[in-house]
Amino acid sequence: MNSAPRPYTLVAELTYRCPLRCLYCSNPVDFAHTREELSTDEWRRAFSEAAELGVVQLHLSGGEPMLRDDLVELIRHARGCDLYTNLITGGTLLDEDKLLRFHDAGLEHIQLSIQGAAIARAEIVAGVRSHQKKLEVARLISKLGFPFTLNVVIHRLNIAEIPELIRLALELGAQRLELANTQFYAWGAENRRALMPTREQYLRAEEIAVDAIAKYRGALEIVFVQNDYLSGEPKPCMGGWGRGYICINPGGEVLPCHAAKVIAGLSFESVRDRSLAKIWRDSPGLNAFRGDDWMLEPCRTCARKDIDYGGCRCQAFMLAGNAAEADPICRFSPHHSVVESAQDDAVNGAELIYRNAKNSRRLTRPVADR
Amino acid sequence: MDAEGTWRPRLTSRARLKFDSVARQEMLLFPEAALVLNETGAAIVRLCDGARSIDEIIDELAKKFRGADRDTLRLEVAKFLASIRARGLLQ
Repeated sequence: MNSAPRPYTLVAELTYRCPLRCLYCSNPVDFAHTREELSTDEWRRAFSEAAELGVVQLHLSGGEPMLRDDLVELIRHARGCDLYTNLITGGTLLDEDKLLRFHDAGLEHIQLSIQGAAIARAEIVAGVRSHQKKLEVARLISKLGFPFTLNVVIHRLNIAEIPELIRLALELGAQRLELANTQFYAWGAENRRALMPTREQYLRAEEIAVDAIAKYRGALEIVFVQNDYLSGEPKPCMGGWGRGYICINPGGEVLPCHAAKVIAGLSFESVRDRSLAKIWRDSPGLNAFRGDDWMLEPCRTCARKDIDYGGCRCQAFMLAGNAAEADPICRFSPHHSVVESAQDDAVNGAELIYRNAKNSRRLTRPVADR
Repeated sequence: MDAEGTWRPRLTSRARLKFDSVARQEMLLFPEAALVLNETGAAIVRLCDGARSIDEIIDELAKKFRGADRDTLRLEVAKFLASIRARGLLQ
């Protein structure tokens, strides 16, 4: 690549620490082996460099970003770089005083997650008592006039709650509601049997969401993120590898998305070692799947290759064993049967594997031992 | 919301205008997205200050873009404002 595309969005995963234990967590399963988090200065520099590269949107994410004690400072710096600054939080550590300080520092939007509409089910998914606190915080955010998105990851356990979730979003004063069907990576992949809805459940949910999107247009923006396995269509993941999105993980590695480290054999670089501009342009990991030279059949000659970019590289690696293959979600993939059998594996009452340090260490080994 | 005649549009708190120094264009920023605005779009959004009515916005635009037909401007403004209002970016 001679010239890298312009990135518009930076997802800054400030920490993998989190008080929640969500079954669908997108943090890497090996998060417990993460070494030191970037310092305040290192993050500040990364934000400045991102803005110079053309980034306009910043998502302060985690883990739980509230566990960083420099969050006010980071928000202030981000706004100083003229980044549209969004906090992605579980909300359990928020209170009025902190919200006011974030507001003064320039925070522009909050994305708050809840795990469902019914408290008992929501807390089975979160793994800890948290639901009431989240609702209180949502009301507080609304009272203070913060624009906010309510995010709910949708799966087998809560997919029937969509009408209640829409009512709840309206009652809480959210302007956006993300009904984000589980993406089966990381902890979501570990829990796929428990979280995969039936085809009937999914199609019903989609129908309700599509109606609601039209009904509430202008008042509540509803976003329905597809379930890859049940949608039948590969997604144009991240709008293409290394194109518009940059993800920086807590240790400073620059990734095309938060899941990319699952792909064996790719090397990524840290903002500790080089400037973001150089990494964005030259990183072997980021260049691995830019353009379409890497594509194999059936992608290489497919009419949709500029629309879906062959789907998701991580999913191709996880399900087909090779990140350059077509995403097996695609019906033209020779590995598509894996996707169909995944639906048959799903059951009520499957074992639940919570996202915690103990399970992380049980399921993975430190990088040095691999 | 008021009827069109008395509506004095302004951006909601979740949207803001930014001059993008990379592409040297105005951009409307809001949660999860950005809209690159052309010169007319940027001029319209700047006039949505909560003080001006649609008629006053059209007056200003007619002054700025000399020779522009008022009816064409009215249609263009209505269409553009409806599109960003539908995204919840105007009140």
